[in-house]
Parts: sequence; structure tokens; C-alpha cells
Amino acid sequence: MASVSDMYDVTWEEMRDKLRKWREENYRNSEQIVEVGEELIQEHASKLGDDIWIIYEQVMIAALDCSRDDLATTCLHELQKQFQGSHRVKRLAGMRLEALERYDEALKMYNDILQDDSTNTAARKRKIAILKAQGKSTEAIRELNEYLEQFVGDQEAWHELAELYINEHDYAKAAFSLEELMMTNPHNHLYCEQYAEVKYTQGGIENLELSRKYFAQALKLNNRNMRALFGLYLSASHIAASPKVSAKVKKDNVKYAAWAASQINRAYQLAGHGTKETKCSLKAVEEMLESMQIMPS
Amino acid sequence: MTVIKLTTQAYCKMLLHAAKYPHCAVNGLLVAENQKRKDGQPVLCVDCVPLFHGTLALAPMMEIALTLIDTWCKENKYVIAGYYQANERIKETRPNQFAEKVAARIAENFSEAALIMVDNSNISMGCYDPAISVFEHHDNKWKCRDASIDCCEDWSEAQKIMSALLEDRSYDSLIDFDNHLDDLRNDWTNPEINKSILHLC
Repeated sequence: MASVSDMYDVTWEEMRDKLRKWREENYRNSEQIVEVGEELIQEHASKLGDDIWIIYEQVMIAALDCSRDDLATTCLHELQKQFQGSHRVKRLAGMRLEALERYDEALKMYNDILQDDSTNTAARKRKIAILKAQGKSTEAIRELNEYLEQFVGDQEAWHELAELYINEHDYAKAAFSLEELMMTNPHNHLYCEQYAEVKYTQGGIENLELSRKYFAQALKLNNRNMRALFGLYLSASHIAASPKVSAKVKKDNVKYAAWAASQINRAYQLAGHGTKETKCSLKAVEEMLESMQIMPS
Repeated sequence: MTVIKLTTQAYCKMLLHAAKYPHCAVNGLLVAENQKRKDGQPVLCVDCVPLFHGTLALAPMMEIALTLIDTWCKENKYVIAGYYQANERIKETRPNQFAEKVAARIAENFSEAALIMVDNSNISMGCYDPAISVFEHHDNKWKCRDASIDCCEDWSEAQKIMSALLEDRSYDSLIDFDNHLDDLRNDWTNPEINKSILHLC
């Protein structure tokens, strides 16, 4: 089996930097992390300096994802030797138990941490993750809501809550969670766009109009967000086609939809230079937009 | 009752999608050739279009995907014949409300539409058992079809090729509709993977 550095012709520094990028951007490409990280640890540990501890943590979590308990245990032992009694390392030990589906033992670890330090957010969130893994969505949602009452600023938790609600088809509460996120992150086009999708899914003219506004807002924040563009087209088209709106609203929305359609076509044309397959895509998009066109009343 | 069968290409691309995102729910569509079938002839799903991964239960992008793929189908004399979903949790194999809604929408256009749930626990390198459950629409409910009926047109071929694809980590290059929305140049028809499968046949 060729080494990563041989296969991809990279130096150990490049491997270390890649791991850092993946860590900072929170990628869950666990197979790659294990491949690169394992080699880095085995061949270049002495060169990594203090970076090695955070790399052990990153590789351990990725190893759990890949069912590599051998690698996870190795990393965990190194961390336990170096940071005896650390809560951060104890949480990792708990995660390993979770991966082995030994939930009761994992829960005990987290409860131990919380007894020692009741403000330890990581342990609380792991407990909620266990509920999620066991399919206890209602309890997970309840615990997460309680957690958020205390830790209102935890973005990751608000987003997790929104997703839990979406999976339970409780779109109203999902919208509320996303509103919290949009308030604290007004420049994040992804939250805007997801909020718009939730509103659209809820349905009804008012929600459709809101969804159109938020798709438009997401586009303002990032004019290359294709989902927002498609969403703007869809929501404007549906509003224009509704018998419940005034003539002026209809006219305005036909204009918005037409603008969105032309932008979608343009985006596909820009992307489609040359290849036969993308030409097919472009044709399909053109036909789709035509078939969805609103007949002027 | 009409039986649904999958070609090797449809089966493999569906499982590659699930394998690419092991920590997410994934879903997608199955397409069949649009032709008159004789009584008793099974519906053969010849291809699969992987759609989304992660948060599945939102309407707008699903609507766009259904409309776009429907147009593509008409160009290629296909028809959307089924919907598949792999849940986030390994032990969760039942379809949720969203899956049933999408499948019902497909059934409006194609009365023998199938709803396929991927059985995550049966996905393995050796591919010993078919990793899917097929649900059919009876009396307004989706009922699981008897597992003893073979779901693949040629199970031993599908098994062999699926195993080879997993070894090769072909799932790394699978494109779903989400990837396409992230970058329009990404091709959700997956011509390269189709070629690999043909090559392995």
C-alpha cells in the first residue's frame, strides 16, 4: 500500500497544513483525515511539535467515524498520558464508547465531567448526541432547548436544533431557530437561504412572500448562491400563479420570476462551456423554466 | 402486482451515494424507460439520480430537482419511476412522512412508483445481501414488499460490481444534485461512473 506522501507527492508539512485546513473548516472527510493523519503520526511525529496533540484529537474522532478503533485507542492513550485528568480528553473517551454503542458507559463519563464542572458544554452536547443516536428525537429536542436557555449564543446548537425540527417536520419551530441564527449572523447567506426554504415548505401566501424575500436577501449577500436563485424563481412563480393575490403583486412577481429565470439561464451558460453533458443540463433548464412559466391572466 | 427491478447501474449508484455520505441521510430518484409494458413484466429502473444529502425534508430544491429531472427524462425517453432514501441512523429503515410525500407525488405521474429504503446495516465491502427494502403503494399506504423477491435484474453481477466500486472508493467521485447546486459544472448524470460500471460488466 503506497504511502500518502508517495501517491500524492506531498511533503509532511503539506499534510500537516491540510489537516489544519480540514480542522478549521470543520470538514467531516474522515477517511481522508485517517489516511493522512495516520501516516503523519506514524512517520513524522517528532517533527510536529505541540501540534501533535490536536492532531491526535482530530485523527481520533475521524478514526471513530471509520470504525478504526485500533487507531482511535492509540490516539486516546497518547492524549491520556499527556493530559491526565483532562475533561477534554475524558470527553473523547466518552465518544469512543458512543462509537462502540456503549451508551450507558458513555453517559456515565459525561455525567462525571458535569459533576465536576456543571458548565461543561461539550459533555452536555454529547449527551444530546446520544439521544439523537438512539432515535429519541423528542428528548433530544427538549434537552437541546433547555441547553439553549442557558447557552443562548451557541450557534452550532441552534443549527442542530433547526435540523432536528426539520427532520420532525416541525417547520415553524425550525424557522424560529434559524431566526436566532440570522439575528446573530446577518451576513450569512446560508442561514438566509435555509430559512427561506423552511418558509417555502411551510406554504401559504404569507410564507411564500417571506421565502421570496429571504431568497432575495441570500442572493444579495452572495450572488452565486444557486439555491437562492432557484428559490427566488420558484417562490415568485408560485405567488404570481396564485388566485389570491392582487394584480399588482402578480405583475411584480412575474417580473421577479422572469429576472431569476434569465439569471439561471446565464449561470448555466457560463458553466456549460464545451462539454456535451452540461449542454444537456442547459437545455433541460431552459425547458423546465418554459414549462413552469406563468400564463399572464 | 407489478414488480420493480433495478439494473446494476441503478443499484450501484444508489449505494455509492449512501457510501459517500455515511454520516448523512441521502435521497434520490430512480428512472425507468418510458415504454409500454406487457402484463406481468417488471418495471426496470435503469438509472439513478442521486439528489441530496444532509437535511432532506425541505421542499424547494426537491421541486426544482423533480422538474429538471423530469425534463431530462423526457429528452431521454425515461420516466421517473421511484424514490430512494437512506436514513441518517443505521437502524432506522422506515420511510418518513417526507419520503412518502415525494413517492406519492411520483406515483401521480407513474402509478407503479416504488419507494426504496436503503438498509444501511447491509452495506458492506462484500455486499452479501441486497441492501434495500422496496415499498409499494397499496390502499393509500406504503407497504414493504416481501424480501425474498429479487430486487436486482442480475444480483450476482450487481454484487460483484458494487464490491469492486467500494474497494476503489468510486463514491468519492459520485455527483449528487446538491454537489451540482454547489457548482453547476458538476454533472449529476455521472457519466464517468456509468463508464466504470459498464467497463466492469
